[in-house]
Amino acid sequence: MDFELTDEQKQLREEVRRFAENEIAPIAEEYDVEEKYPHEIIDKAADMGLLGPHIPIEYGGAGYGSLEVAMIVEELFAVDAGIGLSIISTSFGCESIMHFGTDEQKERFLEPVAAGEAITGAAISEPDTGSDVSSVSTQAEKDGDEWVINGNKMWITNGSIGDFFVVLCETNPDAEGRYNGFSQIVVESDRDGFEADKITGKLGIRASDTAELIFDDVRVPEENLIGTQDAAFMQQMQFFDETRTAVAAQGVGIAKGALRASLEYAQDREQFGRPISDFQAIQHKIADMATEAEAARNLTYKAAWKVDQGEDITKLASMAKEFASRIAVDAANEAVQIHGGAGYVNDFPVERFYRDAKITQIYEGTTEIQKNVIARELLGKGAF
Amino acid sequence: MKILVTVAEVATVDDEFEIDGTEIADQYLNADLNEWDDYAIEEAVQLQEGGVADEVVTVTIGPEESEQTIRQALAKGADRAIRVWDESLEGVDLLDVRAKTEILKAVVAEEEPDLILSGVQTGDDSWMATGVSLAESLDFQWSAVVNDLDHDLEDGTASVRRELEGGVEELSEVDLPAVLTIQTGINEPRYASLRGIRQAQRKPLDAKTLDDIGVDAGVVDGSLELTDMYEPESESDATVWEGSAEETAGELAEMLREKGVTA
Repeated sequence: MDFELTDEQKQLREEVRRFAENEIAPIAEEYDVEEKYPHEIIDKAADMGLLGPHIPIEYGGAGYGSLEVAMIVEELFAVDAGIGLSIISTSFGCESIMHFGTDEQKERFLEPVAAGEAITGAAISEPDTGSDVSSVSTQAEKDGDEWVINGNKMWITNGSIGDFFVVLCETNPDAEGRYNGFSQIVVESDRDGFEADKITGKLGIRASDTAELIFDDVRVPEENLIGTQDAAFMQQMQFFDETRTAVAAQGVGIAKGALRASLEYAQDREQFGRPISDFQAIQHKIADMATEAEAARNLTYKAAWKVDQGEDITKLASMAKEFASRIAVDAANEAVQIHGGAGYVNDFPVERFYRDAKITQIYEGTTEIQKNVIARELLGKGAF
Repeated sequence: MKILVTVAEVATVDDEFEIDGTEIADQYLNADLNEWDDYAIEEAVQLQEGGVADEVVTVTIGPEESEQTIRQALAKGADRAIRVWDESLEGVDLLDVRAKTEILKAVVAEEEPDLILSGVQTGDDSWMATGVSLAESLDFQWSAVVNDLDHDLEDGTASVRRELEGGVEELSEVDLPAVLTIQTGINEPRYASLRGIRQAQRKPLDAKTLDDIGVDAGVVDGSLELTDMYEPESESDATVWEGSAEETAGELAEMLREKGVTA
């Protein structure tokens, strides 16, 4: 067993940290307040080759595995979750193309994403379809050599700024079994009948773009189908280990940022004639935050490492996601408490961390769903 | 054309620190790529991308731990690196300019670069002398505190702009081979790209001893001795306001008024 990072991993982490501190930290508050998408940072991240780090080298990416992606996510989220998510999400949906796409599709879709010329999204949730993914009602019907798509998708990251979306559609309503009959189809945002409605007023991750997508007789060529027709659910499930581990890394990052800010503030802020870090009540909070962040990091790195070994880690990925998101919320909460009144306004980043942390317990499978998965795996029961 | 860039790993100090004898205590120190060298690397890599240079080689005097810093230079686009270290260098507190010059001179003799780029200074020891001293010992032309370099380098000449005191700038032509000491601001150093970081791990990084490059170990015995290190007493405090001019001008006016400054 070896817990040591390679020199390459250390260098990667260090360079991403530098990028986050120099480029993101100074403008994070502005983008949060104004709820605007950070195009300028995305351009800088593209220059650094930070977009789509897991895209294979032959398609212009860096070909990094889950562990390196987790490190990148952690460093970005330790500074700002909204811009961090904007950066890592430019390739959302690309996993399916990487694993199930044809060579032609990989060239067509992955290369522009790795180069920073295209932004993607994964369109799964609908107004009436959240955790119960099998109730997707967006329809795709074959008409000649085209797919005709109708329906609505909700909470879609990059929805109003994305160039194409991997859309989960029902393609065979008569299929037997609730997980059959769905397909993944790429829909470009410049197709007739495609409309995106930006969702504003989010509690956190406000720099990240979220929208409702409306498909009204949108026609795409049949070669936009990814993988096997009617088998999308099985395709989609393959990436839960990967994507849940990545959200766990988001939680680790937010906890790290909350801890860092608290350490700094507690040593600076003086009350009763000494820094508040001299008080045991503050010291214990900081000790707990650090311990929990370290535990979550180890759980997350282990999950990521196992994903990279090609292991099936349903339970471990859910554990990492559930735990890291929980301690992120706790750490952000304690960070605000340590900052007192100063933590209640956005002069310090912890107010933002507090709002941002919550989403990690909701998206990519809620805390409750993760616990269902863990219990199901432990008890050997079938689907919930 | 071959460019040799001198790359140093420097010590950076936390905001709060304590001095222990003639050193800052280890727990307050971090290691980083010397800021000025970052600009020198960027300039060399740009010359290579522009098709002017064929090869960019870095040279560092430093222990094995400095390899992470050296890999940064490789990740940003240098082709290969040379690291010189030796048992005889290990216990040396203060490696003086003469010693650095002798070591670098031996590497130059092996590499035969057309152009040597060196940071104006290191962020820790701040001698500001190594580049120029190296040029003198090699009998190369040199130019110090260069803040603009014409990338033509035609007819074996480098056209440079350099910073003088008092905001004066000077344009000059330097015959190659030459040493240029690079000032911050000459370019905007890039972040190492993810692909660059991957590739850097496979680029050659040759570790050499003094013996390997034909330098006598006696060179490390300097004639300088560090006798004391202390923080100077501050005579006054500076107040820094953060925010836009509109937000902070009033606060400045208020303070000036309090101090008795009147229009």
